[in-house]
Amino acid sequence: MQSVNKLSRRLGALAVAFMAVAASGGAMAVSPRAAENKVVLIARQDPGTLDYVTSGLTALRLWIPANVVEPLVYFNKDGSVEPGVAESWTISDDKLTYEFKIRQTTFSDGTPVTAEDVIYSLNTMKTSPVGAYASAYNAVTAIEKVDDSTVKVTLSRPSQAFWAGMGSVAGLIQPEAAAASIATNPIGTGPYVLKSYTTNSTFEFEANPTYWGEQPSITSATVRIVTDGTAGLNALEAGEVDAVPVITIDLWEQLTNRELDKKFTLLTYPQIGEPTYAVLNQKLDPELRQALAMTLDRQSYNDAFGAAWGAENTCTFALPNQAWYAPETAESCPYPYNYEEATAKAAAYASTPLEYASLSDVPDLSLPADIMIPAMQGAGFNVTRNAIDLARYSQLIFQGRPPQFDITIMSGDADPAQFACPTPEAAGWSTYCSQPYTDALAAADSAPSDEEYLAKMQEAADILRKDAVIVPLIAKKGVGLFDADLKGFIEPRVLVAIEISKLHW
Amino acid sequence: MAIYVLRKLAFFLGAVFVASVAIFLLIRAAGGNVAAILLGKDATAEAINALSHTYGLDRPLPVQYYDWLVKMAQGDLGQSFRTKEMVSELVTERLGVSIPLALSGLLLGILIAIPVGTYAARNVGKLSGAVLALISQIGIAVPVFWAGILLSVLFGVRLGWLPTGGWTDWSQSWVGAIRSLVLPVLSLGLIMAAVLIRYVRSAVLDVMNQDYVRTARAVGMTRTQALLNVGLRNASLPIVTIIGLQVAELIGGTVIIEMVFSLPGLSRMILANVAAREVIVVQSTVMLIIVFVIAVNFLVDLLYGILDPRIRNAT
Repeated sequence: MQSVNKLSRRLGALAVAFMAVAASGGAMAVSPRAAENKVVLIARQDPGTLDYVTSGLTALRLWIPANVVEPLVYFNKDGSVEPGVAESWTISDDKLTYEFKIRQTTFSDGTPVTAEDVIYSLNTMKTSPVGAYASAYNAVTAIEKVDDSTVKVTLSRPSQAFWAGMGSVAGLIQPEAAAASIATNPIGTGPYVLKSYTTNSTFEFEANPTYWGEQPSITSATVRIVTDGTAGLNALEAGEVDAVPVITIDLWEQLTNRELDKKFTLLTYPQIGEPTYAVLNQKLDPELRQALAMTLDRQSYNDAFGAAWGAENTCTFALPNQAWYAPETAESCPYPYNYEEATAKAAAYASTPLEYASLSDVPDLSLPADIMIPAMQGAGFNVTRNAIDLARYSQLIFQGRPPQFDITIMSGDADPAQFACPTPEAAGWSTYCSQPYTDALAAADSAPSDEEYLAKMQEAADILRKDAVIVPLIAKKGVGLFDADLKGFIEPRVLVAIEISKLHW
Repeated sequence: MAIYVLRKLAFFLGAVFVASVAIFLLIRAAGGNVAAILLGKDATAEAINALSHTYGLDRPLPVQYYDWLVKMAQGDLGQSFRTKEMVSELVTERLGVSIPLALSGLLLGILIAIPVGTYAARNVGKLSGAVLALISQIGIAVPVFWAGILLSVLFGVRLGWLPTGGWTDWSQSWVGAIRSLVLPVLSLGLIMAAVLIRYVRSAVLDVMNQDYVRTARAVGMTRTQALLNVGLRNASLPIVTIIGLQVAELIGGTVIIEMVFSLPGLSRMILANVAAREVIVVQSTVMLIIVFVIAVNFLVDLLYGILDPRIRNAT
């Protein structure tokens, strides 16, 4: 017994010593990184690769564009255009010829930016397997060198998508010589150099000493990849990190309950958000689709996420910053929530089996499914849930031909062009194919003026709504929590990219 | 003893082969394709097929399996499709997190369980023994992720003594690395201790009633001396067995702990690569772990022979 007691005492002493060593230096002052002009940010997802040419993952697009690799131009929130890798540009009156004057600068690896690099970059994105990037070049017929610092792009027709793409991922410029290492070490002209990327752990950025613009205030940034949302909020509350710039919807209720919105600066911004929408397979009878659409009580989805400041109810596939967006109103919703009418119509379809494909590993989507399926079943529709992970979902739905679902829910880029469909055989994963919609989008892309562009986009949005295949529920805004002393955040300009260089203490 | 070792070795090699086939087929049976995930929802079938071809995923399965097995046998674990990084390098990087985490968790569990379990056995029927048994039961019922979150909130958020998560590499600061590991090791070790305490208590109780312990007492040893000199060696057999089995449990525990504490360890890497269907990374890394677990159990089997002459003589 004596030896056992002795052992217990020794273990106790060891444990205390262990804790003492561990706790040494542990107490953190408020914003300890401010004096050093450093920041630590949190990302929820690991992209796995940094090759933006072949990957359309948001987890990558948040950090590499604008920070490390820059586009030719930047589109500001107020509609103005700023130089990027292109120092200046000219657009012909017929909007068929674009000439970009390339900035005399170097990439972060020290090599000069050349016209050849720009041509290589544009051609690479033109043939990107990511459809959203390559589609910016649909109207492009030639990319040529004019002289050592000028590149000319010729179009077969005016294209809004091309010009928008030059300020987005489709317009990112990289050195041809470093293309082989793009998956782990992308090189560009941006304000930061990626010092290291450890998958599932961190991105480390340092100010690029050869950056052509003003040196950023933040000289060093660490982005910690914390997949567990609660752990991310814990780290913020403990003062270990300075901001969580993108907080997914599954954490909104928690952050409110923990009153983090009062302890930190809460920012919402529409550019980085996503529409959440039900997809009703186009093969279903149109009246069935319309009846199903009437079971969708948008407010219940908004309530489920517990933060009205982060999402708006809408029947329009768009974000509030897009000019053709409309919040939920009687006019903008052709099939508004009407449970009685839906129940009455369901009687005719009680024997029609409907498979609801639910993404089990994406909380943003499994939570709405928890509401949607019982609502449809309650109305009398014969709905069964098929819960599958992202990889299987990719196989069965994104790549399945025909996609294997009757009903599903998705959220993603608010780019309406993703539902364009030249022929029914070319319908994408959503099954949606409409000639009038595709024509309206094409007309909008070729529109010579902003007014005509907007009119055509509104027309397209109206067609999409009435067809009840893509049925928007809510428009989620981007939501971020920042240390109260960390200022300067700007709404994303290059797709969803968080511009670290704009932050300052 | 030689025959015993050879039989165990044959079983070890057979188990490794079966495991290799199982892991190769299972990751593919799960469906999905790294190219489709990478290219996103709007990628065309042509683009996905082209990328799959580049990755060699369109080759017949037996060819893929043979190629993988031959390379594994040569020490080549393959490379990530997406980043082109060598799997061996990825694994090596993460072992710096996972080995200290798993071993410290196991060690902590053992260091707590053996004295506490022994104490609980010696005090069976008394209040202190009952309290320890109850604490052990509660510990078993607590999910490891919950323990992790509680410790993180208490020591990280509320007290600010330790990081709530994240990792400081050994090369940057070994103190930082230890600080990063304290809460994960505590979470893992405490839950493991709760499980082991029950087995230690039961094993010690069992030997305390054996004739040889009574004989040892009869020749003048105290209860403690009899237990330490005679009893524990006999009690160690089931304890070693359960510790061997706990190694596999431990790897399962590290998956959750690495997620909760955002540690860039082996388990989290595997999980992320399963989701991305990085089949080579997953199958090579899981295979390494399987070989490790089977090897541990192989060593446990060998240890039986050393600890118990009846086993080695019987074979």
